[in-house]
Amino acid sequence: MSAHPDVEQREETDVVVDAARPWVTVVWNDPVNLMSYVSYVFQTYFGYDERTANTLMMQVHQEGRSAVSSGSREKMEVDVQAMHSFGLWATMQQEDA
Amino acid sequence: MKGFARKRGVYVAQLDRTERTILSRVVADTALLLGTRLDIERPADDDDPLAGLAWSADGVAEPSDPALARLLPSASEDEDVAAEFRRLTEGDLRAAKVERLRMVWGALLAPGERLEVLPERAMDFAAALTDVRLVLAERLEIQTDDDADAVYQAATRRRRSGEVDEVRAALASLYMALTWLQESLMSAMLKAL
Repeated sequence: MSAHPDVEQREETDVVVDAARPWVTVVWNDPVNLMSYVSYVFQTYFGYDERTANTLMMQVHQEGRSAVSSGSREKMEVDVQAMHSFGLWATMQQEDA
Repeated sequence: MKGFARKRGVYVAQLDRTERTILSRVVADTALLLGTRLDIERPADDDDPLAGLAWSADGVAEPSDPALARLLPSASEDEDVAAEFRRLTEGDLRAAKVERLRMVWGALLAPGERLEVLPERAMDFAAALTDVRLVLAERLEIQTDDDADAVYQAATRRRRSGEVDEVRAALASLYMALTWLQESLMSAMLKAL
């Protein structure tokens, strides 16, 4: 029954690695971006409700950074590019296993 | 200058001719930093020469100008991830930022004092204001929230005592005017969500 053993094995390995270590988009505090603007970006781009967006925004402001989304590397590349487009300072990183 | 308010579904501010001229210059300067002159008409068949950078075989390095680096920041502390990201996205990011600045520049140079922003362009308008403010802040060496407060306080003191560094004073005034203008726009946009 095992017509493509190599493919199956590789796929399984990939799934295990990706599931264990997802990527996250981190937004960093800066002295320029307005709190209202950051909240607006979080609400409209990520679709967070006002309360969640404000919580993440305050985390950026007070703690210096906040992980605002997580998922595949490809998805985080899209999110980081969007944040840079909005003028927010964002980076992507793989979470520790 | 009168900040943005939402009137019949459109965001409207009032800026006189002098304010428009000054703001349009700093918008054009920001586009120039990104590699595009807004005051030159581009032929319709002329492809954006910077778009090619996105696929440069050599990749593109982080800009050495800190203001430009703030507009096009590194996407990762991992140098390989950052370089790959920059190679794939920087051309598009530059082009998108320039087009938004061009839209704001055109709105500022339109006749009359009324500055109208349609709801579907409001986020682009706000993002362009952000980019201009990021560049001004870098020139004013605003790196922390305390630095920003110091710029505001110095500007208040200057009104009483007179300022020695006129260039810095002008930049600070511009920065605060743009901050105030963007804050009025965000306040109106948040109410409309």
